[in-house]
Amino acid sequence: MEKAEMFLSLKETLVLLEEEDLLARIEEALTSGVDPLAIIERGLLPGLKVIGEKFQDEEIFLPELMRSALIFQGVMAVLQPKIREQGRIIQKKGTVVIGTVKGDIHTIGKNIVRLLLEIGGFEVHDLGVDVDTFKFIEKAKEVNADIIALSALLTSTLSGQRDVVEALAGQDLRRRFKVIVGGGAATEKWAEEIKADGYAETAPAAVELAEGLVARRLREGGRGL
Amino acid sequence: MNLAEFFTGEELEQVHGASLLVLEEVGILVRNEKARRIFAGAGAGVDGTTNLVKIPRRVVEECRRCFPPSFTFRGRDPLYDRTIPADGPLMVTASSAPDIVDRQTGEVRRATARDLGQIARMVQELPGFDVFSISTLVADAPEGHLSLVRFYEALKNTTKPVRSNTPNMKELKEVLALGEIAAGGAEAYLKRPLLNHHYCPVVSPLTMDVESTEAVIYLAERGLPVYGTICPNGGMSSPLSPLATLVQGNAEFLALGTLMQLVKNGTPLIYAVLATIADLRSGNYAPGAVETAILQVAFSQMARYYRVPSGGYIGLTNSQENDVQSGYETGIGTTAALLGGCDLLNMGGLLGSLMVFDFTKLVIDHEIALMLKQLKKGVSFLPEDIGLKEIGQVGPGGSFLDHEDTLRRMRTTAFIPRVATREMRERWEAAGRIGADKRARQEAERILAREVRERLDKETDRRIKERFDFLSCFS
Repeated sequence: MEKAEMFLSLKETLVLLEEEDLLARIEEALTSGVDPLAIIERGLLPGLKVIGEKFQDEEIFLPELMRSALIFQGVMAVLQPKIREQGRIIQKKGTVVIGTVKGDIHTIGKNIVRLLLEIGGFEVHDLGVDVDTFKFIEKAKEVNADIIALSALLTSTLSGQRDVVEALAGQDLRRRFKVIVGGGAATEKWAEEIKADGYAETAPAAVELAEGLVARRLREGGRGL
Repeated sequence: MNLAEFFTGEELEQVHGASLLVLEEVGILVRNEKARRIFAGAGAGVDGTTNLVKIPRRVVEECRRCFPPSFTFRGRDPLYDRTIPADGPLMVTASSAPDIVDRQTGEVRRATARDLGQIARMVQELPGFDVFSISTLVADAPEGHLSLVRFYEALKNTTKPVRSNTPNMKELKEVLALGEIAAGGAEAYLKRPLLNHHYCPVVSPLTMDVESTEAVIYLAERGLPVYGTICPNGGMSSPLSPLATLVQGNAEFLALGTLMQLVKNGTPLIYAVLATIADLRSGNYAPGAVETAILQVAFSQMARYYRVPSGGYIGLTNSQENDVQSGYETGIGTTAALLGGCDLLNMGGLLGSLMVFDFTKLVIDHEIALMLKQLKKGVSFLPEDIGLKEIGQVGPGGSFLDHEDTLRRMRTTAFIPRVATREMRERWEAAGRIGADKRARQEAERILAREVRERLDKETDRRIKERFDFLSCFS
């Protein structure tokens, strides 16, 4: 099979969510000496792009988007060791600390965002649910995060997002980390009100938001500001 | 009236059996330590590492036998006390929206204490609403006193039963202190607890949280009115199959009901739900979906199987304005619930998936509420209603318009709407082509223009402010 044809078949297999077939094809490609980074860049990422577009057009539904992300993650678990063996690394886009705020134990939306951030190339530290305000900050400092992502589903726990922003300001750390908010109860307006750095209504939008903020941080002069 | 039903008796048994299996074999994650101890004390298996509680069917069945068949909401004025199912269907406002549509600008903004006071006043004036479930949050409440400000504004403006939640025990105790002052002392309050508490202690799938569960235990121990709503969201927090969502949600209700009986035998409860199927194109929440109505009917039938009152957040809309979608979603949802035997409908005043309160929507929903109550009455079947005398007197070709029987019944038989138009086109055009939305807005303004009546007497209000001095800013 021609290389271009092979990459196209990988892309299409991912779009069709044929996990076993995809793994077999990748195994075959690796055996025949194809560069694992090229598999990602020329086969899988174009596949994810198509899936993203189809999701926008409501051609595929959220559970399919999730499934594709999980398949991608499974495939990456095979490819990453090969890339490391070659002494190369995949540059991460940034580091995100994520969790559901104090008093709220809703997890599903937050997990979708985590997964899409991970496959989008971010290193994600998930603190889980009902997370104490200061735990977000401690973790962000520990892993030198770019972004703190706060989820809240309940209108009654939404103020937990503001608490984190205020606690950061209180510790003179507000400019060090970008704070993004989401979840059923959050809105663009709320994000503005509490002076968060961004809000996203959907998980794919959260990834775009995170990418934009990391790029802005770089323009602003990098980490540790 | 024969209620709408989806299931045979045998199928109800199957759902019940499946839910028991879920509790016995899958178990429920109980994050509240006191609740774990209570379950363990009753013979449930508690895993100390994972906090997973497996409840044997014997424990559930014993508690189920103690479920009382009725629940009473008390108002500050006993005239407004309501017991379900006897006084049902109760029409209740939908609650806890952070935002409001500004009456002047039409823009959406955060709700304030002043807004909430006006909403409570409207609910007092609208006879179709039985219970005021506190419609909005309050953005200008002092830190840590959100619930107190909400309940205070409610009590100050309505004497109907007030219902809401609290985020933590500190705020719950503060609210109870307020209730005691309003009732005229702790003892009087215990005799007539005039605040009604509501929580969602079970977060689907199969998880009991810390704070709400603590509040439910605390209130049940003291015999104060409290109930929970179960909110599985098919495809997200419960299986996509509506039947499986019923099985899981029913297990979640049974777990909560069991805990409440273990705390105190005979604690009244309501089998209340907000069961939905997610819009899986995007994962968006869809309380306005017809599946919410379908699931409400199914859960109401389960409530009857357990002989407990049935309730739900039903008739909510996903629409962001008072448009056609808002009307048909509220109409279909509430009608299905009513015909399915739901005793309590949290249905009034909110747009946009429970996020925004709107006075116009409240007035439209009030009209729907009155229509539903009318529907529930059905056809009166008394001997004098059969009409043989009147049919004989008027005879073929006559008119009933001026018949004595028509005059006697004309103000009571048909529901007279205030929002819906009955005008012919020409008159409607001549009057400025005013639609339901605008008429409802005018009605809201008309009600709010009435003289404000303080519903708390001066002395009680003084005592409340003496105890909570920061409330002086909210008078």
